[in-house]
Amino acid sequence: MPRILRALAALAALALIGWGLFASDRTSDAHWLTILGVAWLLLLVATYMPLPDDMPTFNRTTIRTAMAFSTVFAVIVAQLVRVQAVQRQAIYTKTGIAPDGEPYANPRTVNTGLDTRRGRIFDRTGEVIADTTERDGVFVRSYPNPVTAYVAGFYSPLMYGASGLEATWNDELSGSAGRNAVDRAINELLDRSEDGFDLHLTLDTTLQQQATDLLSGRKGAVVLMDAASGAVLTFASEPHFDPNRLFSTTTDESNDVKAYWEQLSGDPAAPFVLRANLGLYTPGSTFKTITAAAAIDTGTATPDTVYQDNGELTIDGRTLIENNRPDPSRSEWTLEEGLGWSLNVVFAQVGLQLGADRLWDYGTRFGFQTSPPFDLPVAQSQIATSRAFLDSQNALADTAFGQGQILTTPLQMALVAATFATGGTMPTPYLVSRVTDSRNKTIRTNAPAAWRKPVSDSTAKQVAAMMVNAVQNGAVQAAITPGYTVGGKTGTAETGDGSIHSWFIGYIGQPDPRYAIAVVLEEGSDALGTSVNIGQAMLQAAMEQG
Amino acid sequence: MRVRYRPTFRGTELSLLLYPALLAVVGLITIVVVPRTQLDWSWRDIWVSLAFAGVVVGMSLAFSIRGFRGDQVLLPVTATLAVIGLLMMQRLNPDLSDLGLAQKQLVFLAAGSAILTGIVMLAGPLNLIEWLGRYKYTWLIISLALQAATFVVGTEVYGAKLWIQVGPIQIQPSEIVKVTLVIFMASYLDQKRDLIGSSWQVGPFSLPPIPYLLPMGVMWAGSLLTLVALNDLGSALLFFGIFLAMLYAASGRPVYVAVGLLTFGVACWVAWETFSRIGIRVQNWIDPWADPYGVGYQQIHSEYALASGGILGTGFGRGQPTLIPEVHSDFIFSAIGEELGLLGTLTIIALYFILVMRGYMIALRVRDGFAQLLAFGLSSILAIQTIIIIGGVIRLIPLTGITLPFISYGGSSLLVNFAIVGLLLHISSLPRRI
Repeated sequence: MPRILRALAALAALALIGWGLFASDRTSDAHWLTILGVAWLLLLVATYMPLPDDMPTFNRTTIRTAMAFSTVFAVIVAQLVRVQAVQRQAIYTKTGIAPDGEPYANPRTVNTGLDTRRGRIFDRTGEVIADTTERDGVFVRSYPNPVTAYVAGFYSPLMYGASGLEATWNDELSGSAGRNAVDRAINELLDRSEDGFDLHLTLDTTLQQQATDLLSGRKGAVVLMDAASGAVLTFASEPHFDPNRLFSTTTDESNDVKAYWEQLSGDPAAPFVLRANLGLYTPGSTFKTITAAAAIDTGTATPDTVYQDNGELTIDGRTLIENNRPDPSRSEWTLEEGLGWSLNVVFAQVGLQLGADRLWDYGTRFGFQTSPPFDLPVAQSQIATSRAFLDSQNALADTAFGQGQILTTPLQMALVAATFATGGTMPTPYLVSRVTDSRNKTIRTNAPAAWRKPVSDSTAKQVAAMMVNAVQNGAVQAAITPGYTVGGKTGTAETGDGSIHSWFIGYIGQPDPRYAIAVVLEEGSDALGTSVNIGQAMLQAAMEQG
Repeated sequence: MRVRYRPTFRGTELSLLLYPALLAVVGLITIVVVPRTQLDWSWRDIWVSLAFAGVVVGMSLAFSIRGFRGDQVLLPVTATLAVIGLLMMQRLNPDLSDLGLAQKQLVFLAAGSAILTGIVMLAGPLNLIEWLGRYKYTWLIISLALQAATFVVGTEVYGAKLWIQVGPIQIQPSEIVKVTLVIFMASYLDQKRDLIGSSWQVGPFSLPPIPYLLPMGVMWAGSLLTLVALNDLGSALLFFGIFLAMLYAASGRPVYVAVGLLTFGVACWVAWETFSRIGIRVQNWIDPWADPYGVGYQQIHSEYALASGGILGTGFGRGQPTLIPEVHSDFIFSAIGEELGLLGTLTIIALYFILVMRGYMIALRVRDGFAQLLAFGLSSILAIQTIIIIGGVIRLIPLTGITLPFISYGGSSLLVNFAIVGLLLHISSLPRRI
C-alpha cells in the first residue's frame, strides 16, 4: 500500500472518529457504530505497511496479524473514550420508556438521596418534625407529628423529589452546604456518608396543634408570627398531605406512594397547595388597614376625618350599597369608625381621594406585586393584574375596600398585621432559626431582619390604634381578650363562584404588641365569627405560652 | 546441559512485579477501608493480597534460581491483570469471614501459578514442546470429545451449555479446547506448511490443496457445532478466529481468511434466521434500549456503569457495579470501568496489548516451526478472547458470553490462561532464530 494512501487513510480514520465522538450525541448508536466500522477499515489500510519480499511467510503473517489486532484495540479505545469521557454525561443520565410503559433510568442518579443521613428538623422547643433512621443500610425519612409534618414538606428521592423545607433547605439537610474543604476531602476519600445538618425552626408544635384543632379540617390557614422578628410560630394549613406516605425505599412502597401521589394530585381540594403560603385569596375588608395607612401616611386623612355614608354611594353610574352601618340613621362617620365598622362607602371615598397612583404605591410598599423572602415559596400577592385596572373609578373604589382584583396570601396579611403592630416595619418572615451539625454545633443562625418599611411610625401607630378600636368598639368585639391589648380587622371576600372566604388579621400585646396573626377560612360565609374566634384563641394562647 | 541450571537474576521481572504487588496491597486496603468509613485495617484483612504478592514474587525468584532465561515481561503483566481481577472479586463480595469470590479466586490463581511454574520448570527436561507436537491427533480427538461431552452431559446456563459437572468441580471444557485446538493446528500446519501454502492444480485451475485442508474442515465444522449445538456463541467465535488466524499465519494466503469469513458469515446468517437467540443478540447490540427490562438489561446497565466511572472512576468500593447481573464473570470489565474509570480500562487494554504483542514477538523469535505457530496461536487466543468479551461488553460487537482472561471469576479459565502464559514463557526460552 503506497505510503501516501496509508497516511491519508490514517488521517481519515482519525477525523472520522473525532467527528463521531463529538457529533454522535446527535446521531444514533447505530450511526456511531457504522462510523467506527468505516474508521476501522481505514485503520486496516493505514497499517498495511509494505514488507520486504524476502521476508519469511510466518514473519509477514505474524506482523500483519499483530497489526490487524492493534487496529481492533484502537477501536476499543475509541469506544471507551466515547462511553467514559466524551458522551459520558448523556449516557449516564439516559432515560426512556420501555415498550411496556415502564420508565427506566440509571439507578445511580436516583439512589443518591438514600445514602446520606439527612438532617433532622426540630420545632423551637426541640420537638422532632422530621427524623431520619437507618433501616437495612438506607436512611428512612419520617415525620412523627402530623400537625407539623407538612411544613417540612415531602422528601421522595426515588420518585417525586422534594417540596417545602425539604426542598428549599436541601443543601443543608443533605450536608452538601457549608462544609469546609478539608472535611470534605477526608469524607470524600473515605466515602464517609456526610451527615446532613439539622434545622431548628421557630415553629411551636403546641400552637400548631391548637391551630389545627381550631381549623378542625375546614379549608383555610392560620399564620401566627412574632410581630417584631417575623419568626413564624404557627403555620397551619388545611387541607395538607402526609409526607410519610410519599417516602419510599422499596418497590412495594413506591406503588403505595404512587397511588397516594395520584390521589393527592387528583384531589380538587389541592392538598399540595399549602394555603398559608401558596393560597391566594381576596383579602376583603382586611385590606382597609392598608388603605387607611395610605390615607394617613400621605396626609390625605386622619383617623378623625369625617366621611359621608348614608347607606349608598353612586360612582360612575354604579351604586354601592352599604350594609355595615351599626346605626342606619347616622350618615357621618370618621375614618376610625369606618375601619371599626368596616364601612365600604367610607373606604370607597378614601380610595377615590387617594387616587390610583397612591393606592398602587402603598399596595406595593406593603409587599404586594412581589413575594416576601421566606423559607418556603410564597405566592405573589397582587393589588390588581395590572396598574391600569385602577384607572376605573369603580375598580379604584372596590380595591380600596378590599375587593376588585386584589389577591393575597395568609402569610402576607400576617406581615401586614405585624407592620402595624411594630411601628411600620415589615419583618422578613422566617421558619428556620438555626442550622446545627450532628454534634449540635451551630453552623448558621438566621438573624431576624426587616424586610421593608411601608409607612412611618406615626402612621402605623394610628392604624394600630384604629384596629384596637375596631376590637373594643367596632365589629371585631369577638377578639376582645381580657388582660391584653388586641387590635384586629375582619374581612369577607366574595369569590367569583359565589362562595365567601372569611378573614381575620390582628395582633396582641400587653400592652406593646407581640404577636401578629392572619386567619383565613374558605367558604366561611356563615363563619365570619369563627375566623375571629380562631384568631383570638391563637393570639391569647401565644401570649400565655410566652 | 549443566549451563541451563546456572542461576540468573531476573531483575526486570522482579522490579516490574513491584507494581502488581503494590496494587494488590493498596487496592485491598482501599476495599477494606471504604465500607468501614474509617482508616481502620489490619494486615490480616489483606492476607489475600499478601499471599498473592508472595506467590508471584516467589515464582520470579524460583525462575531466577532455576536459571530460567525467558521473557521477563509476561509474568508481571499477567500478575497485574490477575490482581485487578482478584481485587474486583474482593470488592464485589467483600465478606472477609466467608470463603468469598476472592478467596476462591486466590485458590484458582495459586493453582494457575503452580501450573505456570510447573511448565516453566519442567517443560525443558520433559521436552514438552516436542511431546505436544508429536501427538497432534490426540489433541484433536480430545478437543472434539470434550465438546461432544459438553453436549451430552453439559449443564445449561442461560441457554448455553458451557459446563460439565465433575463431582464438586465445574469444568468449562471450551477453555481447555481452545488450547488443545491450537496445539493440534500448530503441529498440523507446521508439518503441512509448504503443502498448504502451495496450490493444487486441477487442469487449468489453481485450487487450494484441498486434501490437506480436510482436518481444518473438521475444525471449522467443530466451531459451527459449538455454535449450533451448545449455543456457545463466544467460544464458537473464538475457535473460528483462531482457526482463521493460524491458517493465515501458516499459509500466508489472505484468501483463506476471506473464504473462511464468508462461509462463517453465511453460517451465522443461517443461524440468525434459524435461531431467534442470535437475532436477539444482534438487535440487542444495535439497540438494547428497545427492551430495557428484558434482554437489554445487562447491556444497558453495563453502559450505565461505564459512564458512571467517567475518566477517573469512582474508586474501589464506591460505585454500584452490582447493579449489573452476573457482573463477576462476563461483565467484570464494566465493573472495573465504573470503579477505576477510563484510566483503568485503558490500562487493562494496554496490558492485554502488551501481552499479545509480546506473545507475537516470542513467536517471531523462536527457531522451531511448531513453537512459532504454537506461540502465535496462544497469543491469538488471548487477543481474540479479549476483543470478543470487551467488545461485547462495551457494545462494539454483539455480546457473546466468554470470560475475560486472568480477570473474570472462574477456575477453568484462570488455569488454562496461566498455562498459556507458561507455554509462552517456555517458548521464549527456546533457541532463537539467527
